[in-house]
Amino acid sequence: MKRMLLLLTALLASHAAVAADRSVTDDAGRTVEIPAAPERIVVLHEPLLGVPIADLGLAPVGSYGRSDDGGTQMSADFYQLVLRDRAPDPMPRGIGALGNMDLEKLRTLEPDLIVGTEHDLEKAEQLSSIAPVYLQNSSTGRVRGFNAEEALAKLLGRETAFAERKTGYLARVDEVRATLPGDPRQQSYLVIFLSDQINAVGEMAGMVQALEDLGYDRLSLERDNTVAGFGATLLVPLSAETFGRLDPDLLVVMNTFGKQARDEAAIRQSLDRIVPGWQHFLKPAREGRILFVDSATVTTPTVASALHMLDAIEAWAKQ
Amino acid sequence: MKRALSSGGRKVLRWNSGLEIRLDTLWAALLLVAAGLGFSGLAINVGATRTGISDFIGLLSGATLNENQLFALLDVRLPRLVLGFMAGWCVAITGAMLQSLSQNPLADPGLLGLSQGAMVTILLLLVFAPAAPIGLVPVVAILGGLGVAVLLIWLTGGGHSDGLAILLMGIAVETVLSSITSIMILYLPPETSFAVSDWLAGSLFQASWGNIAALAPWVALSLPAIILLGRVLSCYDLGEETAMSLGEPVPRSKPVILFTSVLLTSAAVTAVGPLAFLGVMAPHLANALAPATGRARLVLSGLTGGVLVVGADALTRGFAGDIAIPIGLALTLLGVPLFVISMRLRAVLTLQRN
Repeated sequence: MKRMLLLLTALLASHAAVAADRSVTDDAGRTVEIPAAPERIVVLHEPLLGVPIADLGLAPVGSYGRSDDGGTQMSADFYQLVLRDRAPDPMPRGIGALGNMDLEKLRTLEPDLIVGTEHDLEKAEQLSSIAPVYLQNSSTGRVRGFNAEEALAKLLGRETAFAERKTGYLARVDEVRATLPGDPRQQSYLVIFLSDQINAVGEMAGMVQALEDLGYDRLSLERDNTVAGFGATLLVPLSAETFGRLDPDLLVVMNTFGKQARDEAAIRQSLDRIVPGWQHFLKPAREGRILFVDSATVTTPTVASALHMLDAIEAWAKQ
Repeated sequence: MKRALSSGGRKVLRWNSGLEIRLDTLWAALLLVAAGLGFSGLAINVGATRTGISDFIGLLSGATLNENQLFALLDVRLPRLVLGFMAGWCVAITGAMLQSLSQNPLADPGLLGLSQGAMVTILLLLVFAPAAPIGLVPVVAILGGLGVAVLLIWLTGGGHSDGLAILLMGIAVETVLSSITSIMILYLPPETSFAVSDWLAGSLFQASWGNIAALAPWVALSLPAIILLGRVLSCYDLGEETAMSLGEPVPRSKPVILFTSVLLTSAAVTAVGPLAFLGVMAPHLANALAPATGRARLVLSGLTGGVLVVGADALTRGFAGDIAIPIGLALTLLGVPLFVISMRLRAVLTLQRN
């Protein structure tokens, strides 16, 4: 009996009590008790959550998709590519293999907050035994541009850091707009993401924020009965036929970040494979209104990605 | 209790009450229990936290462990072990039941569409009502599995149909349901389809005492099912006509066996996702250890299923490093070589006897 009591006590004690200083409601509608100023944050998605938090000057201690030594398990190292010299040092450590999260590794990082996307809802209960779990919306249709970074800044008490980043960014928007050949406020844009198919990028990404802050309007695809893409973090699939008829004033094309090669030559190769002869019939390509960018640098919902997009647009405008 | 010879000339242990257990069955069960304990020891030892079986034994005898060790042992490794064994037990027993029912050694919950029925309804719930309470998932899974069972019984003409008809119709239904699953995976947003694909590959990530408590009633149900249906299934093994001539009410017992299979399969699928091929593999491996029928076959199959899942999980967690191997694939990696060896041995022995 005594042993049973000890075992029971041990079982209850294993659910570590975390100092909870305030109560917040996450985007899944869950009420979560979190520390006033979380310091040891683990993120369940590197580009959608880890990079925005690091962009605010808070380095996550753990990040899904990293190895034990902090090296990336993915084909793109988003912290390095997006934040460059502002990337966390040391890099966040891993929490198990991709597709096989390790609860013990996660616990050894001693997190005081775990941040996931709305797609991690089914894991939230399990992870709550380690630290409070906050779920942040990250899908197109639910968040827009770099709204997710702003929401995370509010959650983590980094509003001042975000405001500083945004002020610098808005000044850069004015600078880049002045270099453009025409007024973008009268023009449309569309961003294409090439995986094994053609996808239109939704509303959630720093690059979209940059394009729209410059004044471009997203080309409407509704008349083509294209799937709305609600629930996807980034993409809306497009048929090759629809793609061939597209004529935005600015067409931005990029390769998937699942590939190592994401430069202009690699993007052209992907287009050749999916839509042979595109250079001859795609109007923006024939008229020089096409821009090739590295998806890994511009698709995170961060001010940093928006700034990378402005750099790319400026370089294109000066050609 | 004394050693004796059965009417078939095999060595048995016979109790005064008349209960007798064949010695080879008993040895096989002991071997499986030993293998299960061995794999459990390995599973308790494997993980990022420095703790293991000696700490666990120490804990049981009143030793104090730190929080990380307690978490690793009691919140991660032990629930994984227990849930894996329970799910493997349920799926393997279902496989053995369905093989006797259909008189076909290929039958398993996956082949007859019962797992797919549960999976499709869970997928529909996840996609169209993602905010639905988690507690609804097992109910929906059982409804899906039952739907397929009722459809099979209806399509094959009720309890009067033969085993082959059920098997063939089951394959047809399973194919249709697999297509529906594929279509859903193809057209779901990428993140949802990745999550669904993870689940379809089988996972013990969600192992917790809550999940174990949810699966426990169904595992408990399997015990009276073994006692009540074991004798019935040994009649089915002789063929339906012989079973009827032995007084077995086939039109009544067939739906009961199918219904029990649905309950056990749906509960296991809800807990860990589909465990592909385990329903076929475990009864055959159990049969290779000790050929048995009825209750003994169900118990040996259940033990084999449980041991295979625990072993596959422990080995992959111990040796896969940073490579993610879902439990479905791990089971295939461990079980299929054993399955091939046992089948080959059987073929060689048959050739030698002839």
